[in-house]
Amino acid sequence: MKLNLRIWRQKDAAAEGAIETFELDGVSPDMSFLEMLDILNEKLVGEGTDPVAFDHDCREGVCGSCGAVVNGQVHGPDTETTLCQLHMRRFRDGDTVQIEPWRSRAFPVIRDLVVDRTAFDRIQQAGGYVSVDTGSAPDANILPVPKPDAERAFDYAECIGCGGCVAACPNGAAMLFTAAKVAHLATLPQGKVERDARVLAMVTQMDEEGFGACTNHYECTAACPKGVPIDAIATMNREYLRATFLSKEGV
Amino acid sequence: MSTQNPILDSKCPTGDIETRWDRHRFDMKQVNPANKRKFHIIIVGTGLAGGSAAATLAELGYKVTSLCIQDSPRRAHSIAAQGGINAAKNYPNDGDSIYRLFYDTVKGGDFRARESNVYRLAQVSNNIIDQATAQGVPFAREYGGHLDNRSFGGAQVSRTFYARGATGQQLLLGAYAAMSRQIQLGKIDMRPRREMLDVVKVDGVARGVICRNMVTGEYERYAGDAVLLCTGGYGNVFYLSTNAKASNVTASWRAHKRGAYFANPCYTQIHPTCIPVSGDHQSKLTLMSESLRNDGRVWVPKKAGDSRAINDIPEEERDYYLERRYPAFGNLVPRDVASRASKERCDAGFGVGPGGKSVYLDFAEAIQRDGEDTVRAKYGNLFHMYEKITDENPYERPMRIYPAVHYTMGGLWVDYNLESTVPGLFVLGEANFSDHGANRLGASALMQGLSDGYFVIPYTVCGHLAGRNLQPVSTSDEAFAEAEASVRERTDALLAVNGSRTVDSFHRELGLTMWDHCGMARNKDGLQQAIDKIGSLREEFWNDVRVLGSNEEFNQSLEKAGRVADFLEFAETFAMDALDRSESCGGHFREESQTEEGEALRDDDNYCYAAAWEYQGPDGKAALHKEDLNFEYVKLAQRSYK
Amino acid sequence: MLRWIDRFANSSIGRKALMAVTGLLLIGFLLAHVAGNLTLYADQDGSAFNAYVESISALPILPLAEAGLALLFLVHIYLAVRTTLENRKARPVAYQATGTHGQKTLASTGMFVSGVVILGFLIKHLLDFRLRKAEFDEAPHESIVEAFQHMPTVAIYVVGCTALGFHLFHAIQSAAQTLGFNHPKYTPAILWFGRIFGIVLALLFASFPLVYMVKNGGTH
Repeated sequence: MKLNLRIWRQKDAAAEGAIETFELDGVSPDMSFLEMLDILNEKLVGEGTDPVAFDHDCREGVCGSCGAVVNGQVHGPDTETTLCQLHMRRFRDGDTVQIEPWRSRAFPVIRDLVVDRTAFDRIQQAGGYVSVDTGSAPDANILPVPKPDAERAFDYAECIGCGGCVAACPNGAAMLFTAAKVAHLATLPQGKVERDARVLAMVTQMDEEGFGACTNHYECTAACPKGVPIDAIATMNREYLRATFLSKEGV
Repeated sequence: MSTQNPILDSKCPTGDIETRWDRHRFDMKQVNPANKRKFHIIIVGTGLAGGSAAATLAELGYKVTSLCIQDSPRRAHSIAAQGGINAAKNYPNDGDSIYRLFYDTVKGGDFRARESNVYRLAQVSNNIIDQATAQGVPFAREYGGHLDNRSFGGAQVSRTFYARGATGQQLLLGAYAAMSRQIQLGKIDMRPRREMLDVVKVDGVARGVICRNMVTGEYERYAGDAVLLCTGGYGNVFYLSTNAKASNVTASWRAHKRGAYFANPCYTQIHPTCIPVSGDHQSKLTLMSESLRNDGRVWVPKKAGDSRAINDIPEEERDYYLERRYPAFGNLVPRDVASRASKERCDAGFGVGPGGKSVYLDFAEAIQRDGEDTVRAKYGNLFHMYEKITDENPYERPMRIYPAVHYTMGGLWVDYNLESTVPGLFVLGEANFSDHGANRLGASALMQGLSDGYFVIPYTVCGHLAGRNLQPVSTSDEAFAEAEASVRERTDALLAVNGSRTVDSFHRELGLTMWDHCGMARNKDGLQQAIDKIGSLREEFWNDVRVLGSNEEFNQSLEKAGRVADFLEFAETFAMDALDRSESCGGHFREESQTEEGEALRDDDNYCYAAAWEYQGPDGKAALHKEDLNFEYVKLAQRSYK
Repeated sequence: MLRWIDRFANSSIGRKALMAVTGLLLIGFLLAHVAGNLTLYADQDGSAFNAYVESISALPILPLAEAGLALLFLVHIYLAVRTTLENRKARPVAYQATGTHGQKTLASTGMFVSGVVILGFLIKHLLDFRLRKAEFDEAPHESIVEAFQHMPTVAIYVVGCTALGFHLFHAIQSAAQTLGFNHPKYTPAILWFGRIFGIVLALLFASFPLVYMVKNGGTH
């Protein structure tokens, strides 16, 4: 099939960007969205035009590298799907497909569809861990964890850090990402020791990065390729209130 | 090629295997706690091996610089491992032990791994589970709240810990979290979007690396007291593999060119249950957990070229070839055996699907026996993934599967200390060669990566730091300037070709050659052809590749070009190794060496060694060094799954 | 010493929590307000309503309550304006194509707009009654009858109440989520309760001007 692609092009962070239009023929419905971009790039290189830059790596939906807003939808029209798992059979011959990078003050564009998501790493560094040095762990079965808690913790921990939640949020908030980590560790006994310091530090960092504030649209969870549940955010809010009013942290 | 070269010293301790690691640790020199901060360790790669090493060494007090090719250390390809991680905890009380895990791993590796290394791996496996659990890794649990285990890859005991189908992700995020803590404490200097392009040696010792900043194109010099390569496997030499797109051989290959021997490059694991290729546009292959073979039955039509619809093929005209050939193990034979059997059927014209390049994996019987809901509960996510990619519903019709390149057992040669033949250059995880022999067992890759990073390197790096009198180095030293100049020259050369073919077109062509001649079955003529073809393709690449843009920008074509250029050199060594090893073992099947029934036939008299290749310059053929493998505990025996 | 309070009040979550709490307290006020207004339907001549107004006016803490109420409004409005402005800054370059995965609603995206409309209506409402307190207290029911004879006034009240309905449609479950209450057993109930509550409350408030306009429409 033939597509009319409208893609955001931007040379680097400092440059002005704009939408450019490309016609692409010979798109097979069995291609993944990124493979469609691959053949576009092959064509562009042949024509002497700089190929479209986009982040990608595992191409099986778990590394969290890829992502773009396709016709206004984060990771495209499917639910619980990363861009690399989206297939062209979701499009029709002659369709116009608009492709834009994640938009957030905290995610500056590096080039074309590639954005800088190191803000997420800094949020994690602020407290998204259990402080346990290698070698100091007790036997793994010493602390039983109720199966439903372990399952729930996994639901949160499954976050791939793609940034789709920020891109989908009308406020550009990073609540679902931050909450996924906070809720994961707050649900497990191993994470409870540092829960108060953790949530205070991570939320402070999240705010400093310039993300927006949550107003409960729930677009994040709908766009999330892993379907991280929205109650993660409620859990983080609860943890934050608890840490603020009931703990001795952050006096 | 010469076989006169000295036999390599693995520095393995001798004597009672159960105490080897303890004694070795005791014998090693220690670095005083107050002195640790004076040593600077450079770690390339942030997967399970690199991430766990960076966190642990920083915790110990070393100054660590960590470099990764992705935009965040959390994205390394360890993240894609699905199935699980082995450990000899024996929680299920079903007879597992450190010795049994050791035994199974040596045997599963088809007797081409080092006993000492494998025993140590089995010993520390339990500590890994403890560490990961304490980090908050959400492993699957029983209703009583204790950790759950499953049987995996045909193992006789249940020793695999797992976190749904995302065990690699969860373990990696555990290591990443531990790293994050050290970054916050200022003990790890984390540099993402950096590609390592050279190792810098000063007085023969690895003292630094040259990286390209992938955002600005700047070349950066990093100097330190030890360099750890944790840069993964080279399966992408086949172009199509289950590896991530950025997985490459460049770091290993550049280290190889600086004197690190490359061991057993031909040992490739080809995983039987992958989604088949659907067209020329295909950019990567997707693996589905081999747990599917617990309930799925593999078959092809009995009639070659049978083009009837599945339902029109009556039961008696279906060939359940794994059950037929291997009655004892049936559909649960090890990966290498299952992969070769599908290839054999497809090559003989019995394959199904487009081009006859796939076989059926049928769940009809399981659905009839246990009900669709039970099957959905066990494999729902895999079925969903399959349907998303193929647009076929596996509840209604059999899946189509075909083997795909998945893991590489070969890698840079390392001794018992994980140190390569370049002093001060250590190699961890999939990038080294040591623990899996010629075939890796399911759920052992995660174990090895974390074992190397959390529990081996923190001890063995001391031997280097405390045992050698390391003089201070600076990035302004001549060796750094020389290395940077050579890297710069290579990049400039790539940009200067300005030919007519894209980088990907060369990579695809190389992959096809590798798959045809160095894939699941290899023979002398084919390998010779491959070597010739690789040479001519390399020449064409340097005459006709087209890389747009400049070095001083974010340039993904340039990155790819550098990697493919290295694959084109490495592939030849790969093929030479496969040619040299005129026996079948594990993932390496030489058609000349098979039993009457077509099974792999090892030749222990002539090939019971690890082949370590030494780089001899651009025009010289690599030189072969051998490390003899001795089996004192596990008796050499031919594997049989009949 | 009060660093933790400062940190809380300036954090994204703290501000949202304060908005939720002030919002819920304002809902409490609305409930009291609508309960009082319902006395208008108790009889035909408005004597129940007059008695109610008289009893309220006689309360000694009334000035304090009014001051508190004003403070709630001001804090709620201040936080809303600040959050809205900061959220706009969080996405300096807008998307050119618009789309959704189907979770946001007109009510959720329109919170600021509905809030502004409510504020406009509130000012009109205060001008109509509170700022003419002496007049109103003299003959409460007649003031009502008088006010709702004017079509434009009724229209403004209906628009204001509609905006209130929109606002509350999203507000109640949003406040619960913000305050950390999300539970698989209760959240669906809170969601639907909140939505129905918002609509019912808005209908009730809107009914007063409409009923009075219809009832007394012919006399003027």
